[in-house]
Amino acid sequence: MRVAIDSGGTFTDCVYLADGELRVVKVFSTPADPSRGVLDGLSQIVAREKYTGALDVRHGTTVGTNAMLERKGARVAFVTTKGLEDTIAIGRQTRQRLYDWFAPLPECLVPRELRFGVPERVSAEGAMLREPTEEELQALLESVRASGAEAVAISLLFSFTQPITEQRVEASLHNLGVPVSVSHRILPEFREYERAATTVVNAYLAPRMQSYLERLEREVTAKHPESRVDVMQSSGGILPARVAAEQPVRTVLSGPAGGVIGAITLARWAGFERIIGFDMGGTSTDVFLADAAQGGARLTRESIVAGMPISVPMLDIHTVGSGGGSIARFDAGGMLRVGPESAGADPGPICFGKGDKPTVTDANYILGRMDADSFLGGSVTLHDERARVMMQEHKGPLTSVEEFAAGILRVVETNMEKAIRVISVERGLDPREFALVAFGGGGPLHACALARALGIGTVLVPALPGALSAVGILLADAVRDYSRTVMLASDDADGLQGIFTELEKHARHELRAEYGESVREERVSLLRTLDVRYRGQGYELNVAFDPSLPAKALDNFHDLHAKSYGFSHRERPVEIVNVRLRIAVAAEPYAPKLASESPNDGSDACTGERSVWFDGVALSSSVYARDRLRAEARFHGPALITEYTSATLLPPGSGAHVDTFGNLIVTVGEMQA
Amino acid sequence: MTRLTVDPIDLAIFQSAVHSIAEEMGAALRRTALSPNIKERRDYSCAVFDGRGRVIAMGDHMPVHLGSMPMSVLAAIDAIKLGRGDIAVLNDPYAGGTHLPDITMVMPVFHDAEQEPLFYVANRAHHADVGGTYPGSMGPAREIFQEGIRIPPVRIVRGGQVDREMLDLILFNVRTPQEREGDLDAQIGACRVGQDRLLELAAKYEPMKLCALVDELLDYSERLVRAELRKMPAGEFCAEDWLDEDGVTDNPCRIAVKLTIDPAEAAITADFDGSATQVNGSINAVRAITLSACFYILRCLIAEDAPATAGILRPLTLVTRPGTIVDAHPPAPVAGGNVETSQRIVDVLMRALALAVPDRVPAASAGTMSNLTIGGIDPRSVRPFTYYETTAGGMGARNGIDGISGVQTHMTNSLNTPIEALEYAYPFRVRRYGYREGSGGNGAYRGGDGLVREIELLADAQVTLLADRRKFRPYGLAGGDDGVAGKATLLRNNLSNSLASEELPGKCSRQAKAGDVLRLETPGGGGWGKA
Repeated sequence: MRVAIDSGGTFTDCVYLADGELRVVKVFSTPADPSRGVLDGLSQIVAREKYTGALDVRHGTTVGTNAMLERKGARVAFVTTKGLEDTIAIGRQTRQRLYDWFAPLPECLVPRELRFGVPERVSAEGAMLREPTEEELQALLESVRASGAEAVAISLLFSFTQPITEQRVEASLHNLGVPVSVSHRILPEFREYERAATTVVNAYLAPRMQSYLERLEREVTAKHPESRVDVMQSSGGILPARVAAEQPVRTVLSGPAGGVIGAITLARWAGFERIIGFDMGGTSTDVFLADAAQGGARLTRESIVAGMPISVPMLDIHTVGSGGGSIARFDAGGMLRVGPESAGADPGPICFGKGDKPTVTDANYILGRMDADSFLGGSVTLHDERARVMMQEHKGPLTSVEEFAAGILRVVETNMEKAIRVISVERGLDPREFALVAFGGGGPLHACALARALGIGTVLVPALPGALSAVGILLADAVRDYSRTVMLASDDADGLQGIFTELEKHARHELRAEYGESVREERVSLLRTLDVRYRGQGYELNVAFDPSLPAKALDNFHDLHAKSYGFSHRERPVEIVNVRLRIAVAAEPYAPKLASESPNDGSDACTGERSVWFDGVALSSSVYARDRLRAEARFHGPALITEYTSATLLPPGSGAHVDTFGNLIVTVGEMQA
Repeated sequence: MTRLTVDPIDLAIFQSAVHSIAEEMGAALRRTALSPNIKERRDYSCAVFDGRGRVIAMGDHMPVHLGSMPMSVLAAIDAIKLGRGDIAVLNDPYAGGTHLPDITMVMPVFHDAEQEPLFYVANRAHHADVGGTYPGSMGPAREIFQEGIRIPPVRIVRGGQVDREMLDLILFNVRTPQEREGDLDAQIGACRVGQDRLLELAAKYEPMKLCALVDELLDYSERLVRAELRKMPAGEFCAEDWLDEDGVTDNPCRIAVKLTIDPAEAAITADFDGSATQVNGSINAVRAITLSACFYILRCLIAEDAPATAGILRPLTLVTRPGTIVDAHPPAPVAGGNVETSQRIVDVLMRALALAVPDRVPAASAGTMSNLTIGGIDPRSVRPFTYYETTAGGMGARNGIDGISGVQTHMTNSLNTPIEALEYAYPFRVRRYGYREGSGGNGAYRGGDGLVREIELLADAQVTLLADRRKFRPYGLAGGDDGVAGKATLLRNNLSNSLASEELPGKCSRQAKAGDVLRLETPGGGGWGKA
């Protein structure tokens, strides 16, 4: 049975396929050791389904993301060619903000005392000019040992052309017994700073991710024999846990990537091709933009996470550090601020009974936007008295708790609005031409306010909004990328077929080793591409390579160059830099069941009325149970549509429609109190 | 409160859209250029102008280019009637340029059948050689004729077709014609990318609406600057600083400014009278550079995300005396005006500004781009090569924060050439690249440290240095110490294989041999506040 588990914020979301439908189980996250939540979820699923077979577990994890954002990774020793130790800190010697005289000091992941030089040198042509002696390697080993490093990143000059010295240094430092990341395997590409930084991030995450994933895989297979564990990569494909443990840099956006794939898939089923995704969780919020006509979600090889460039492919996701658990406070200057500190899962918001600092969730609670009866199926007690008293204590100069709560929401919604402007307006795209797809625990609560601020007319709350990342992980393909730097002149192109054949053999071998012979050929797809440029250029264009029409790739290159850059020269010499092969195993196809219902007003799902605050006025609002709403229901705000982990707030003036997939489609109107 | 004449959301989207077009032109240029200085170091800038030549968007590229490019567009419009599909090229500092290596292209963008251009796009890129006495065209010349080929505004593309004769005229005058041709192609392509994207954008708006948006964008920038000036103290604030020498004589060269801030009128005057008469060496700046430095200062006073448009300069009155080092006239040589004098003008303006708003102004940063050019024959290909690179120094300390070490400041923000790209393209080996410990000025907040870089030559070559801040160090402020002066040393590989070292003057050219090592140590930033 295929199970996807996303251990993001407050809850660990589990989605699985049984009897042709998607089913959801939610358990509390266990941030100290997220694997406990995963195992808990699996136990509940097998018990509920009375299932005893092997599990195909796909995991989205924020272990890497959080270590980067909170700067809680390992103490990394950086080992490079002697004389270049500081290059990891110097970077490209530019400033990030051109006109800001007060830009903060950048903080390098590798402090000065952890930078080490090896006496060695390889030339640009790959010739070995100087090799370290055994004594020198021994001395390096001792000084790295003395530094107390918890992980090592090795990145020597020109290692992508001549990796022997990196391999020798690796063999020597292996004796330290800490994870060693090596640049020619993590990112065998030129530009020493970007390669080194990506390798350093890998090392920074390695100890934590390795022990986490190894333990998880061990415990899953101990409890559920014959099972396997895969991990979601930042690029939106699935990777075996063992590979992810060695290359954790590929999982920095593991959880959010699931949300992207899930949102795009469900929105497309509902007929929306241009979407802005809005995933608000407990500690952070991710926004992204996808346009089916432009190839869906954007991939980038030029990401910057927590100030470090990461050059492995990642979905283009913009993250801000505020979410439902974000703590509100008045700063020294008397201004109300929300986040980035978060109450997280433990102690959590005040109204959950343990926390003692006001959060965004508490503000939603005070304003009547959380329904105790339906929240988590009524399994969590919401502490009304406690929330009111403690919010009162923290409300500062404001006159009422409701005013304080409304202020918290206004601040947090402004942060969200700004994040969406970064990915749309700042790229010259008009958000009004997109639908807002809201998910995560908090997305649907804030979506209409946000849509109104941005002029967006439609909000889509997908079926299963609280578990969309898990749905995306469940429906994602398993993907491995292989590449080789070849530097061929175009007239050598005949050899390409041979190189592809070799890569393909290797890829299929790894595929069989990982998934056994059970993979059905019709689900395997191969994408062959070439990175091509005019000789002397520094950047390539990626074009498809068709083995039956090898010359076509270069034709396409000239055309694409003209289209992208305003000129092309068919007579100018061309260089094929990289050969790339992507092998994907498509996930088991899943066709959502369509409901056939007649138009209705949703009244049979109405569970009552409650008082909800809108713009300083408490309005009597209908409460609908989302799981009882039938397709083709249409109704108007003010209303609250509740479900297991989330609720959609429908302001007065807005209308909702349940489509045949179970998506909630909101037409956002002007506020009329 | 000023009332906007257009919807504020429309204005924000339009501003971002034109800005992203300028950025996209930059990306096209970087991704297609051949020389490391353009493709790796991004020593280029792109901008979008309205039909009257007023800049409405600039990419976040090189401040020294950005403030001076409007003059290129105006010079091109003045000199030739540009038609559909035409692209003008120019580099003459006395006809819209700044120094000869910076070659600018200007293209009009016509909407539908309209007779007049709706927009102009322009880009400027620093070419690693444009001929002249010294390989790299950045040497200690005495008149502009020694600095390379001068190109007044002329058409390089006519109705969409490259003018091969014009292109050959340029290529016959430079040391590395193939690389130049590739870079010029990239510039032409970047213009076309800008044109195509602007036409797509224009199609979304009514013509009247478009004009309103352009006007509003310019007014908006102006309002931001004026709001800042209203908050400043009234008065006259005078400051001076010096360039070490001009590379021909040993005399220091003075730059002086009197800033008059008038908060009531929300206006500012920068009067450079008192600056040195233009000099024999190549550190003369044309007026466009001085204007560019003023633009940079005003831009820094407003929020980081504010649009950089022509409106920023409206509150400014610039006074310069023709024939001075800040307003040079032909045939003065000018190669260093753009890269060295521009930084000193910024230093002087900031020193004056620190008298008005002491807490808001950082101490002096490195104040020199430490320009290094090397040219010769690459033994691997037996073809000529020309290399150009600037090396960052320390940033001046700020009130409350230390200066950043080893970072480009003020008028430049070019990247370093990755060592792997450098050694692939040139017969060099980088032996050391690191921080120059202890070079930042002491103070309550320390200036950032400079850098040390050692390059071993693998071929005989002509090495040319154009650097400053050897004698007059980057100043500290509010009681902070000055940063440490810059230094360059040529380590000669003599017959006994031991290295004899020669400390090089800031501005010089030397014939060096294979095996020689050049060590460059860049200045640290000044400290801020008493230690």
